[in-house]
Parts: sequence; structure tokens; C-alpha cells
Amino acid sequence: MKKTRLSSIFNLVILIAFGALSFFPIYMVVINSFKSQDQIFNSVLQLPTTLHFTNYTEAFSQINIVQALWNSLTVTGIGIAGIVLFGSMAGYKLARTPGKLSQIIFLFFMSSMLIPFHSIMITLTRMANTIGIQGSTVGLGIIYIGLGVSMSIFLTAGFVKTIPKELEEAAKIDGANEMQTFIKVIFPLLSPILVTIGILNLLWIWNDFLLPLLMLTNVNDYTIILSVNTLFGEYNNDWPKILASLVITTIPLITAYVFLQKYILDGIAEGAVKG
Amino acid sequence: MDTELATAKTKSNTFRFNKAKKKKCLSFLMFLTPAFLFYALFMLIPLIGAVYYSFTNWNAASQATRFVGLSNYIEAFTNDPYFKESMLLTIKYTAIVVIVQNVLALLIALLIEYRNRTRNLFRTVFFMPNMVSLIISAFMWSFIFTIVLPQLSEYGLSLLDQGWLGNPDVAFYSIIIVAIWRGTGYMMIIYIAALQGVPVHLKEAAIIDGASSFQNFIHVTIPMIMHAITICVFLTLNEAFKVFDVVYGLTGGGPGRSTQVVALNIFEEAFSGNFRYGYANAKSMILFVIILIITIVQVYVMKGKEVES
Repeated sequence: MKKTRLSSIFNLVILIAFGALSFFPIYMVVINSFKSQDQIFNSVLQLPTTLHFTNYTEAFSQINIVQALWNSLTVTGIGIAGIVLFGSMAGYKLARTPGKLSQIIFLFFMSSMLIPFHSIMITLTRMANTIGIQGSTVGLGIIYIGLGVSMSIFLTAGFVKTIPKELEEAAKIDGANEMQTFIKVIFPLLSPILVTIGILNLLWIWNDFLLPLLMLTNVNDYTIILSVNTLFGEYNNDWPKILASLVITTIPLITAYVFLQKYILDGIAEGAVKG
Repeated sequence: MDTELATAKTKSNTFRFNKAKKKKCLSFLMFLTPAFLFYALFMLIPLIGAVYYSFTNWNAASQATRFVGLSNYIEAFTNDPYFKESMLLTIKYTAIVVIVQNVLALLIALLIEYRNRTRNLFRTVFFMPNMVSLIISAFMWSFIFTIVLPQLSEYGLSLLDQGWLGNPDVAFYSIIIVAIWRGTGYMMIIYIAALQGVPVHLKEAAIIDGASSFQNFIHVTIPMIMHAITICVFLTLNEAFKVFDVVYGLTGGGPGRSTQVVALNIFEEAFSGNFRYGYANAKSMILFVIILIITIVQVYVMKGKEVES
């Protein structure tokens, strides 16, 4: 009994130590984002004596944060909507159609999941240029549909196999056509896996850096991540402003995390096990 | 008369059959076309294009794109020391990150498994860094490396007084620190889920048979979570080979070229250095094939070790 007690304390101490290491950088960035440059250079570890909210107002004026947030929201929203809708349509149909053909199509979609983005980035940029969507946030969102739809097909197809066919047949007998059946009967049944797909893609698209860097040319179209990148490059040593912008960028996702924590963590485990 | 009637009947049957088949075909198309369209435009065609252009001299400067056979590939293998160095550096980086990240994630998952009340709290804390985008993580850590750690070193921790980003030997490990800080939580979540799936009766049986907790871990737990290990190694392997954002944000490949990973080398070739698109495509194809071979071997070998519960 005594031994387990001791090992339990030991266990807790290690976890707290690791946890502190994990949390330390975020804590440092947050407390220093309220300090003046002088305070940062002299006493980085101490809590701020006076709160310099000007860091935030200056960061706000430096990069048009409202616009940048809206751009991020547009890109992510379009990407997720397309990935969830089109991916689940295709995944459902492929899972419900027996035969060689649908198996081949399924594998055909899946094979792309191994392709590194760097292998297609140059020709993808050219494609975007050719069809005239380079430099547009809507266009960028649409590109994400093409890149992310395979994973969505994969996860829905796996999930559809666990849904009994009777429901669709009943809807059919009631005279619903196939699209109606899908939207009204299947789509709600798929919601657990669709939430998982949505979350995995939210984390990916919102935080993505390289593709927006290649696609967006005008500062007004920059996503929040790109805007901070620009700020970091221009004000290399102006830490108060940089730190404030880092905090602003991270708040939306941390907030989402606090509220959707259970779904996010379960979604990741779910997505991985199915994969 | 009878035969005529019969033929007519068969005819109408085949007709109805064809109609049903046609309808099925149509609905198949209706459900698959949107996904396929986006997939073809932004994945398939660019991929085919990338393969094609890797055999050409396509670049930003000259107008005419010519077919140059294998010369891009030959150049990458024999006459591009930067590419070779970046590839070796990436392999070293991958080896370290895959091992450390998985061992650490599994260790933390095991420790958390034994907690009751604080389990969710620790899960939340350890996953938190994953919500911060990679490039933002790199910027946060730039601050830690250049301002916080040098000041911390004044409290008798002289070990922390390093040229974290300025010293070529140390900068490589700084990148690894950030990658591990950010990536471990994700793997931990997968490991925790897997550990919860290990049947309690197996562990109990092993304890009754006199197994120590270490033996229990090696002979019961590890085989039972092998599928999670396969997945996590696959994910970390893939991620590590393609590492870009962290290096770009932390060191930009520097000092000099000392931390230039292969993805950065390709990026530089195409977009910031020479604008030789064809050649950069050839290098990216080499990267693709290497990742493909390594992950297929990894999954094949590790799948063989998995057991059914």
C-alpha cells in the first residue's frame, strides 16, 4: 500500500514537471505580451507590473486583424464545408455500392494521402494561376477541398458500413429520392464522424502556412497566420508587438479547444484508429 | 402469338432493367462527381504535372520549356551538395523526432493512465501546444530561445546560455525541441485511447501469474497497443520528413545552410532562389519516393507484429 502511494506521488511529480515544461512557453508569451520592451529585456520571468494594452492596440492597427480573421474564417469555412459535404457524399456512395469499380475508385482517392504537399505545390500554384483563383481567399478554400476530400471519403466510408441499410430502404419506399434520403436520413446519422472530420480539418486549415503563402498575394487577403508572419519579419525585435499578435492569433483556437475539447480529443483518437 | 408476347415481355424487362441500371449509374455519378472534380483539379492534375515537369527544364526565366530526360534527377543525385546535405539532415532529424516523440508520448500516456481525478486536466495541458499553429510555435520559441533562456541562465543555469538559434550545432536541436513540444500531445491522445482499449483481465491474469509491472508492460501492453504504435510512427515519420514550417519560422534554414531541411531546399529552389521549377519538381519526386518506400516498409513490418485482442 505504501509503495503504491509513493509511486503515485512520483508519477504525479513527473507529470507536473512535464506539464510545466509544456505550458511554460505559452505562459511566457502571454505574460510578456503585456510588458514594455524594457521590462521584457530586464525581467522576463516576472509578472507585468503595469499592463501595457498598447501592445495589443498597436498590433491591431499594424495588421488589420479583423480582416485577417475574416479571411481565415472564409478559407476554413469553405474548405470544411466542401470537404464534409462532398467527402461524405462520395464516401457514402462508395461504401453502399458493391463491386470492383467502387473499390478501385476508393483506392484511387486513398493513394493521394501519401503524396507530400511539396511534390504538388509548384504545379498546384500554376493550376490556381491558370484557372484564375490565385490570390483569392475563396479560391484558397476551394483548393483545400481538393486536398482534404480523400481523408473525408475514407472516414465516412468506414462509418457508413456500421449504419443499417433498412433506414434508407424505408425512406425509399416512402418515395424520397436518393439525394433527399442522403440529406435527410443519412447525413444526420453520420454526424459523429462528420464532427471528427470537421475538427481535424479545422486544425489543419486554420493553422496551415505554406499553401496560403503560395496562394495569397495581396496583404488584404492574408490569413491571420500569414499576417503574423509578415509582422514577425518586419518588426524583428519589437517583441511587445510580436507577442501581442501571437496571443491574438492563438486565442480563437484555444477558445475553440476549451469548448470543444472532448470532441477534439476524441476526434483525433477516432481519426487515427480508423486510419 | 405466345412467343411474341414472351419476347415483348423480355424486352420490356430488359428495358426496365437498363433503366434501373442507368438510374443507378446516374446517382453514382451525382454523388461522386463533386469530390472527384476538386480532387482532380487540385491533386491529380498537379501530381501528373509535377511528374511530367520533373523531366523538363521549366523555369521562371526562359519562355521555352524543353524535355531534358533524366538530367534533373542525375543533377540532384550527383551535382547538388546542398540537396544531399539537406536530405541527410532531414533523415537525422526524422530518426530523432520519431523516436523521442513516440517514447515520450507513450510515457506520458502511461503516467496519465494511472491518474483518476487529474487525468483530464493533464490531457488538456499536454495537448494544448498542438492548438498553436506550427509557424506560430516557431515564433513563440524564437522568443524563448533569444530572450527567456539567456535570462534564465543568470539564475545559475549556465547550461541554458547557448546560441540556441545562432550556433549551427545547437540550432538543429532547437528545432527538434520545438517539434517535440508541439507534436507529442497529439500522439499522446492516440496512445491514451489505445491504452484504454487494453482488456483489464489480461493485465490481471499476468499479475496473478507473477509478472512484474515492467514484464506486464512489455508482454501485455505493448502487443495490445501495437496498432497505435504503427499509426503514430507512421504519422510522425510522414510529418518529420516533410518538416518545413518550424524550420522556416525558427532559423530559416540557417545559420548559413546548417539547418536547411529538404522541404526548405525544394522551396528555395522553386520560389526564392533559382526559380527552377522543373528541377525542384524532380527533387520533390525523389522526396516522395523516399517517403513512400520508408512508410510502406514501416507499416508492412509493424503490421506483422500486431495481434488481435
